Amino acid sequence: MGKMQSLIKIKPKKFKDGEIVKVNFMVMHPMETGMRKDKKTGKIVPAHYINNIKFEYNGKVITNMTVWESVSANPVFTTYMKINGKGKLIVTFTDNKGGSYEKSKKIKPKG
Amino acid sequence: MKRRDFFKTLTSAVAVGAALPVMSFAAETKKHAGPNAFSYEQALEAITGGKEPKKSSRAHLKVPEIAENGAVVPVTIEVDSPMTADDYVKAIHIFATKNNNVRCIDAHLTPANGKAMLATRIKLGGTQEVAALVELSNGEFLVAAQSVKVTIGGCG
Repeated sequence: MGKMQSLIKIKPKKFKDGEIVKVNFMVMHPMETGMRKDKKTGKIVPAHYINNIKFEYNGKVITNMTVWESVSANPVFTTYMKINGKGKLIVTFTDNKGGSYEKSKKIKPKG
Repeated sequence: MKRRDFFKTLTSAVAVGAALPVMSFAAETKKHAGPNAFSYEQALEAITGGKEPKKSSRAHLKVPEIAENGAVVPVTIEVDSPMTADDYVKAIHIFATKNNNVRCIDAHLTPANGKAMLATRIKLGGTQEVAALVELSNGEFLVAAQSVKVTIGGCG
């Protein structure tokens, strides 16, 4: 799996077991639509965008997103998640060029 | 592949099963090197199978009235739902109704989300309506839409 700059942020930072927390996922990605002309070369910049993001917690799929090129560059995605015990949140994402990436975050509820 | 033929393939995929249309879209679009040109009507039909979505106050769509920068338009959609195994929001779809590819994001949720909410930022090529289509676990579809005025188009 390749490397791509991304970040998972959980809000609030301290939470209890069973609490519903906000999950922010951010990726550095150009999200090229395939319709933009490079101003220097005059050529169309090929489409290059994240097309799928999967959020898994302790082996269970929480959210699965199909993403299209209309999403802004360096996208941010916000959803919610109900904390069910401690574990690892794994975000797997792919792009239309066949790239596959993963980002994970340890989750430790207190109380 | 002609748009009509593409749409025919999609419609037969819808007849087979609810899960397939999204996968067919993904499979088909991988073949195309260029932009995916889908109209709002085509996208709606592919997801609802022709079922009429209802306008509902349960679906709260938040977009700016005026977007100074069409490249980064924030969209938030929140749906009133208990998110239990018997009653939850299955999916939230966001559309930019006048973009070349109207589809922005299809988020498939589960009761484990706890709350039915999705927020992101999208590109709008010009002034248009942003629509959110909500799929409920009971098979119902809800819709909410709002117009966004775009001063500088965001599609490059």
